[in-house]
Amino acid sequence: MSGGGADWNGTEMGLEEKLPSGFMLSTVEGAAGYARKNSMWTVTFGLACCAIEMMATGAGRYDLARFGMEVFRPSPRQADLMIVAGRVSQKMAPVVRQVYDQMPNPKWVISMGACSSSGGMFNNYAIVQGVDHVIPVDIYLPGCPPRPEQLMDAILKLHAEVQEEKLGSNRVKQIAEEEKEALVAVPTIDQRGLLR
Amino acid sequence: MSTTSHEATGSDTPTVKMITGTIDGTDVTVPEGTMIIRAAELMGVEVPRFCDHPLLDPVAACRACLVEVEGMPKPQPSCAVPLGDGMTVQTQLTSEVADTAQKGVMEFLLINHPLDCPVCDKGGECPLQNQAMSVGRPESRFTGQKREFPKPINVSSEILLDRERCVSCARCTRFAEQIAGDPFIALLERGAQQQVGTGEEPFDSYFSGNTIQICPVGALTSEEYRFRSRPFDLVSVPTTCEHCASGCSMRTDYRHENVMRRQSGDDPEVNEEWNCDKGRFAFPYLQLERLATPLVRENGQLRRASWPEALRIAADGLAAARGRTSVLTGGRLTMEDAYAYARFARVGLGTDDIDLRARAASDEETDFLSGEVAGSCGPVYRELESAPAVLLAALEPEEESPIIYLRLRKAARAGTKVFSLGPFASQGLEKMAGSLVECVPGDLATQLDQLDDETAAALSQPGAVILLGERAATEPGAFAAMSRLVQRTGAEWAWVPRRAGERGAIDAGCLPGLLPGGRPLTDETARQEIASLWGIDPDELPATAGRSLAATVAQIHADAKAASEAGEEEEFSPELAALLVAGVEPDDIPNADQFLTALDSVPFLVSLETRPSEVTARADVVLPVAVVTEKSGAFVTWEGRRRPFGTVMPQPTSFTDAVVLALLSDYMDLATPPREVDDLRTELGNLGAWQGSRVSPADVPAGSAQQPGSGEAVLASWRYLLDLGTMQEGEPHLAGTRKPAVVRISAATAAANGVEAGSRVRVSTDTGAITLPVELTEMAENVVWLPLNSPDSQVLVSLGALPGDTVRLERGDV
Amino acid sequence: MAELPPALSGFWVTFSTMFKKVNTEQYPEEKDKYPPEPRFHGRHQLNRHPDGLEKCIGCELCAWACPADAILVQGADNSTDQRFSPGERYGRVYQINYLRCIFCGLCIEACPTRALTMTHDYELADNSREKLIYEKEDLLGPLTQNMVSAPHEMVPGTTEKDYYEGKITEATPEQRAEVAARTDEESEAVR
Repeated sequence: MSGGGADWNGTEMGLEEKLPSGFMLSTVEGAAGYARKNSMWTVTFGLACCAIEMMATGAGRYDLARFGMEVFRPSPRQADLMIVAGRVSQKMAPVVRQVYDQMPNPKWVISMGACSSSGGMFNNYAIVQGVDHVIPVDIYLPGCPPRPEQLMDAILKLHAEVQEEKLGSNRVKQIAEEEKEALVAVPTIDQRGLLR
Repeated sequence: MSTTSHEATGSDTPTVKMITGTIDGTDVTVPEGTMIIRAAELMGVEVPRFCDHPLLDPVAACRACLVEVEGMPKPQPSCAVPLGDGMTVQTQLTSEVADTAQKGVMEFLLINHPLDCPVCDKGGECPLQNQAMSVGRPESRFTGQKREFPKPINVSSEILLDRERCVSCARCTRFAEQIAGDPFIALLERGAQQQVGTGEEPFDSYFSGNTIQICPVGALTSEEYRFRSRPFDLVSVPTTCEHCASGCSMRTDYRHENVMRRQSGDDPEVNEEWNCDKGRFAFPYLQLERLATPLVRENGQLRRASWPEALRIAADGLAAARGRTSVLTGGRLTMEDAYAYARFARVGLGTDDIDLRARAASDEETDFLSGEVAGSCGPVYRELESAPAVLLAALEPEEESPIIYLRLRKAARAGTKVFSLGPFASQGLEKMAGSLVECVPGDLATQLDQLDDETAAALSQPGAVILLGERAATEPGAFAAMSRLVQRTGAEWAWVPRRAGERGAIDAGCLPGLLPGGRPLTDETARQEIASLWGIDPDELPATAGRSLAATVAQIHADAKAASEAGEEEEFSPELAALLVAGVEPDDIPNADQFLTALDSVPFLVSLETRPSEVTARADVVLPVAVVTEKSGAFVTWEGRRRPFGTVMPQPTSFTDAVVLALLSDYMDLATPPREVDDLRTELGNLGAWQGSRVSPADVPAGSAQQPGSGEAVLASWRYLLDLGTMQEGEPHLAGTRKPAVVRISAATAAANGVEAGSRVRVSTDTGAITLPVELTEMAENVVWLPLNSPDSQVLVSLGALPGDTVRLERGDV
Repeated sequence: MAELPPALSGFWVTFSTMFKKVNTEQYPEEKDKYPPEPRFHGRHQLNRHPDGLEKCIGCELCAWACPADAILVQGADNSTDQRFSPGERYGRVYQINYLRCIFCGLCIEACPTRALTMTHDYELADNSREKLIYEKEDLLGPLTQNMVSAPHEMVPGTTEKDYYEGKITEATPEQRAEVAARTDEESEAVR
């Protein structure tokens, strides 16, 4: 993927004009986000049919290497991203959690396909009704299974979020704000319609 | 109480002649007169049908059930031809002729039927749809223009009619004529243009909802359920109606935690397959604003509180007022919840001040209910049906207990004589072909004593029944007079309350001086039985009978007066220091103002309610409880029959009254009483019937009607079935079918007071006045009737008078 | 090609590939070059009649057909002052839960009025469950030039039959005037 200023979260402060050409300014957050999103390594977590599409996405036709993501790590300790691809059975749930816990921070999760996002059509006792019951999910990806373009779309949306991520005290502030919002949000038991 | 051992009055039923015929090559023996379609059903052969209904007379209107009968030239409608001895019948299973005939009829029926199943409320549970699948052609051969009507039309504000869908089976019109007796709809026109229609008057029947349920297509629909859901996403739960003491079996259908509709269940012993519109359509109140959390009063304002906090405050307040608390339960509790109150009052609060009656009541009635009604079982619906004569006293069945009305009408069509003691022959009485025994309010006891010989003779026949309504409480001496009449004639009798929970609460002991299971508080054996059941010492039970609702209100006012006289420096201790109130509607109580001021001045008020009310607004602690769909329990019908029902929609966050009382007991450091419905029911059941002596009702002298002066009249009043009741809120279409409020007076009374036909009449007391259009009625002189709780006619609130009181009467302002 | 040593033949494959056309799809930069197949099952769309009235009649057959229970529909009565669809009934609530949907297309087969169809839009990923439950306004097809948004009256003098027979081609001046007369608050209340 072509790099360049356009992708940077550069805050224009009027300093750019005064610098010799070839220099670029950004915040530390912008630089960190840029670095993080462009070398995101994925932990192997194919659970069902979605995994086939995920493999296809990594292969030549779709070529995840364009986003610096060709490495699917069997070791969670070298991974940043977990793509949960397929239905999570109750028995698999602790495994998912353990692998997630072994990943170093910062880490992200894409829930790929209907089953891992909500249980999909397997609304039964054997399947976890959404992997977000077990681990926090950053991007939900509908589809059964989603085609590689959809997975790439999800990855790019995640990249955009990673780019925006805050650091240090800003991060602490952001977390506090999100916590506050979550506390006043409608609890699931009070939600109506399909959200229930 | 028990529901066992009803004397079978039909012990001398004639033996039924059995005949044997052959259906599809198999012999079947059935009682003579059984239709072929029923006999085939017994063998498991399903013949298609639309017009046939077991409870309606056969009409053979739809011809869908044609079968081949040997010896008859053409296929015969099996719903209208009785199986004969030796008759050979072949249904569609074995006969080509029957099969072809049925398919042909189906094709004809579908010619004019629109293809709007996707928008039709019946789609998914439609007999026509199902039978089109089984015996219809896959493709229509009809290419012409289908019959079209403007759709839909309102036959009443609740019922909609779509004539395009009608297959002219005449189920609705036959129901209206034969069962309900309100033939406002009929088949009009002939041939292809035949249609169901109404005359000048709208189809305002209290039973109109049944026509929707029995319609085999989607021609009749209700405004309330219209397009709100489809049968396949409804969850159906059998339940019991909470609206009156008839105890209808019902089916509640819900979706996404909202009740979508209710239909009548099938119970041949109680409601057969019918129910009234109130039971069917009056459920939106369940979804109106509810109390979500406990509330406590702080600085004069109610605020939300957690359960532990509210329970702590309530428990401390009630514990401080032990022995000086009064409990008002209201008449809408399940039997189990009522039992929990009866126990909590005696054990937890150490008081016998408990009264279930949130209505006009008397001490005479208390004695009667304790001595005669509690734990008894009188005649049942079937006995009403077979009774030679029925006397209605202070009871208007169509308005106050609609299923009794339906049974009596069915009985009357078969020859039962119905007599009614009332000021005029109501519409319901006329539909039962009953005869009126004129009786002015206040005069009931005298009239019962002086019943004319013809009526008395009719009531002396074996199996005759006297039904006494709850309005008898305002008639001095009525209960004693009825006992005398029962002695004189040997008739069976039953007391018919209006609310669903009253009978169960009486059995559970929610009356002053009455312990559960009909046990008198003053009886030593009874005290010991109850005390051992509750695990306490008999001496801990209150020694003397407590206060009724009226006495409670009077005591609080007396306390308040004494407190103000005592002045500030003295420590004043009121006789009544706390009130525990369940579902009580102040407007139902005579002198509602006094009741409300009593609520204001009582030192501590705890309210267990489902919705915000005038009581919760005055309470110190409000504890929310479950509505009827969120709990299980049992109502007891006027017969004494238990009608248990299960939870429709379990809600983890809502508790029954019994659970809340058990929690209160915990917080008061008392032994935890049973809290689950099954345990309560078992405990009450283990108690068994009371064999010992009972309270003998005092011999109150028969009262007589007041003599109104000029410009005055005696007030007569009862409730319409559809009125301003709080459980009918939230359903405007049902409210649209209410009967209009009118004042009824006789022509002579009208003339004497200068009132003309078509004008308005002003009925007034010192409290207030009601002005309504007049309807001149053939009725007793100097009596004025108006509905008790209808729009523009809230007698208790506006007039502050009870039936039997004298009111002023004059021409209203035009 | 004569017999090359195995090691070299491997390199030959690599080398020869350099002269082949690149088969990598440059998503997302060149996604227009690789459109989905015509029958691709993408996001749903609720269609409108040519004058802007909704085709959905709230019959719930789609919800019935759905194997994943992803659709919630609640019908309601078209009243005289608020008409959303020709005929008596319209879909008051229409929700599709894309976290459950498996894009099988049974719903669009079940639809009796062709109100529900599927588009080629597949970029649906989002960051919360709530955002992936699409409401009626998210699903309704765009208004073309000839349409005005419901609720409004049917074309004067026509019946629902005329709508299904395709006799309606565009919104009439009366309908445009009716919608234009609606104040912002009223439109908001409708939503």
